Amino acid sequence: MKGEKLRNLSFFLSPMIIMVGLFYLIPLVFTVYISFTKMRNWNIERYLTEVVGFYNYQRLFHMFQHDPLMRTVLLTTIIFVGITLIINVFGGLLLALGTFFINERSSSAIRLLWLLPRMSPIAVYSLVWYYFFHGSEIGTLNSILMKLGVLSQPIPWGQIVPWGAWSVIIFVNGLVGVSFGMIVFTSALNQIPKELVIAARVDGASAWQISRKILVPMMKWHLLYVLTWQFLSLLTTYPHLFLLVQWDLVSRDYGTTLALYVYNTAFGRGEQDQGLAAAAAVLLSIIGIIGGLVTLKVLQFEKMIHEPRGDIE
Amino acid sequence: MKAKVGILLAIVVLVGVIASGCIGSQESSETETTGVELTGDFTKDILAIGRTLESNGINEVKFSAWGSGDPNSVMRVYGIVEAARRINKVWEENEVNVKITITDIHYVASFQDAYQEYLSKQPLGQAGDFFVNSYAFLPTLADEGYILDITEYANAYQNVIDDFYPSLIEASKFNDKLYGLPQDTEARPLYIRKDVAAKIGFNLEGIEEKVKNGEFTWSDVYYWAKKAKESGAAEWGLIHRKGSAHPDLIQFIYAFGGKLYNEESGKLVVDVPAVYKWLYVEWKFAQDGLLPKDIMSWDWAKQIHPAIVEGRTLFDIGGTWYWTEWQTKDYYGKEGTPRPLKPEEVQAWFTYTLFPAGEKGLKPVTLSQPFVWMINSKAGQQNPKYDELKDLYHKLAFLMVIKASDPDINAIHSVISAHLPVRKEAAELISNEKWLDDLKSLSIDLDPQVKSNIKDIVATTVHPINAKFLADVSYMLEYTKLAPAHPKYPALADIFKEAVDKVLRGDMTPEEGVNYIIQKVNADPELAQNVEVVGEIPKDWTLQ
Repeated sequence: MKGEKLRNLSFFLSPMIIMVGLFYLIPLVFTVYISFTKMRNWNIERYLTEVVGFYNYQRLFHMFQHDPLMRTVLLTTIIFVGITLIINVFGGLLLALGTFFINERSSSAIRLLWLLPRMSPIAVYSLVWYYFFHGSEIGTLNSILMKLGVLSQPIPWGQIVPWGAWSVIIFVNGLVGVSFGMIVFTSALNQIPKELVIAARVDGASAWQISRKILVPMMKWHLLYVLTWQFLSLLTTYPHLFLLVQWDLVSRDYGTTLALYVYNTAFGRGEQDQGLAAAAAVLLSIIGIIGGLVTLKVLQFEKMIHEPRGDIE
Repeated sequence: MKAKVGILLAIVVLVGVIASGCIGSQESSETETTGVELTGDFTKDILAIGRTLESNGINEVKFSAWGSGDPNSVMRVYGIVEAARRINKVWEENEVNVKITITDIHYVASFQDAYQEYLSKQPLGQAGDFFVNSYAFLPTLADEGYILDITEYANAYQNVIDDFYPSLIEASKFNDKLYGLPQDTEARPLYIRKDVAAKIGFNLEGIEEKVKNGEFTWSDVYYWAKKAKESGAAEWGLIHRKGSAHPDLIQFIYAFGGKLYNEESGKLVVDVPAVYKWLYVEWKFAQDGLLPKDIMSWDWAKQIHPAIVEGRTLFDIGGTWYWTEWQTKDYYGKEGTPRPLKPEEVQAWFTYTLFPAGEKGLKPVTLSQPFVWMINSKAGQQNPKYDELKDLYHKLAFLMVIKASDPDINAIHSVISAHLPVRKEAAELISNEKWLDDLKSLSIDLDPQVKSNIKDIVATTVHPINAKFLADVSYMLEYTKLAPAHPKYPALADIFKEAVDKVLRGDMTPEEGVNYIIQKVNADPELAQNVEVVGEIPKDWTLQ
């Protein structure tokens, strides 16, 4: 019996185990290994076996101590991930709850509208915001405000540091992320038995009370999932940031997160230092693992997976 | 029965051994005929290579050409296509049954992007066989073994090498070895709007000479820029290029008598007094509203070029290629729908000088960033018998670059893209009126594919005014400086750019800017090992 259970388990889990091994564990092991080599300029033949011990880590920590940009990168990462996460999770939740209480046709239209940022190619989507927030009179926002007489001079939104730059990157990424939470929460809401909501309505409960007392408590799993997923996703995202910084829309210092720093170090400069970038990526992974564990702890994941006490015989 | 099978097996094995011996001996006889020594006689060498390829059963050689740059500089890749046609013609005339085919022509706008793509694909064997890009990347590519050392091949063609400007050949070397042949170069003039100057009484007569002899310096630029702004003759006093501080703005370092490289130690240099003066000029211009504080984030097509061609600035630090770029791109929007300028308008509105000396007693400068034709160290690998015939393919690739450097190909590129010729013979051709007329009507011997690709560019750019411009600015190469070809230079240039941006925006004073550069250099131990910080911030220095 036990053997059969193991066989069944192996059968169902093997695709996931293979996927995790291939696409997570092996790259992680490679990244850790490369961080101990002098790998640069893609020259695998020359540098893959040139092990330099903790040299890249020492260099990285030296830079953290002495390079003002590195501290800014860390601060930007914390602010960007923190605020965008709140917007993504609670924005998604609000949208899902909001559309839950209105008729189906309108709610579908609203949801589709919010999916647009995710459906648009990254370059196109970023270009839209590039021209919208552009710091001169060619920028849409400046142009509107100047025509309305609110501004006499254009404002370089993304270059006002730190909050101008942070606001732009948070806004642009926040809009993309909200749709993810919205989809997950909407599908969760649709799984909740309608009778509960109808009964509450009969008892005279308001939409706010229904949300707070019935809907949200029943979506704890989904909240946990979206929160953890979005946290890790924001920690490692860089494409939108890369374009906004590359196009000089936002300040390079306050538009660069640790993930973008890793990308720029590995592939972005004249000399592409993949060893140093790998060391920074390992650091990023450690932060991700710790952050993920903290999220699970705070949201009492263990309590949620406890078996029912079995009061009823 | 068993015995019969045994005998049969023995016969099969024996035949197999003999056959393999035969094949083996055939291979060794082929290997003997793969070597060709270059003699310096182009036709003789190309025929020897063609015949050897043919005897090895090769009738088609495939190559790919990768290049980058502005839309008018496509000869950077089509030069290779034309070279292939010329070699094919020699082979055809001499009944050599081999043909070169250029399978992939890859041309992108950003030379930095092209470099990154080459860097990532070369180790995988997916990069172009010919790669034309800035000499600034040559040291890294040579150091990593990604491009071919052509020193020995070039020795046989010393007569061709001698026709290139020596400074450009030097720029194509790394550790005294030659890794490419110059493809083009340019100068970065200071453009002055004649109409704006006239409004403020700025007499431009003899300005070129005044700049040349150091009489007209950056103090004068400041004086007139201020006057243009204050009198309302122009919105700005000065517009300059944005982006990486290399290769444009570092002209200031040279103009203030500084240096960027210590040849004795082989290290890069942060020349504090010169860098301070550079940052001070930027800061002062921006603080007085003569130069946009956010110029480093201006849009090229929507802001920078329109501001210059519409006369909203008195001065502009640009490049020689601007001259034809303004004639092909829709930058001028004063009359409604944006349009390109006519050659007559460019001539009527702009004059050009060297980059003025920083202070009295110093010399004017300009800066060049030669583009170099480099050959992939794996050139020819998409062809049969690559391992056996590698040396032959490499020599053929070298001869293609020699052919692509033919004076007329180089001259065509110079005229249509407003870059400066890299060979003396090409420079002579540009001043030949008959040749210009033939080019204008495309009655020259060129590959049909090349002709059709440059037809529109030729129609708009080949003009006596443009040829005269090239002739006029050629003298600037005598004053030119090259940024150091050092693997760590791009990292230092990035830091310069950040400092300039902060100083322009007023986030830092010039002094803070210099300290920021030093702090950033020291923050990276690897960069600190490669950079010397020399001198001190001058006391009470102002732009007077």
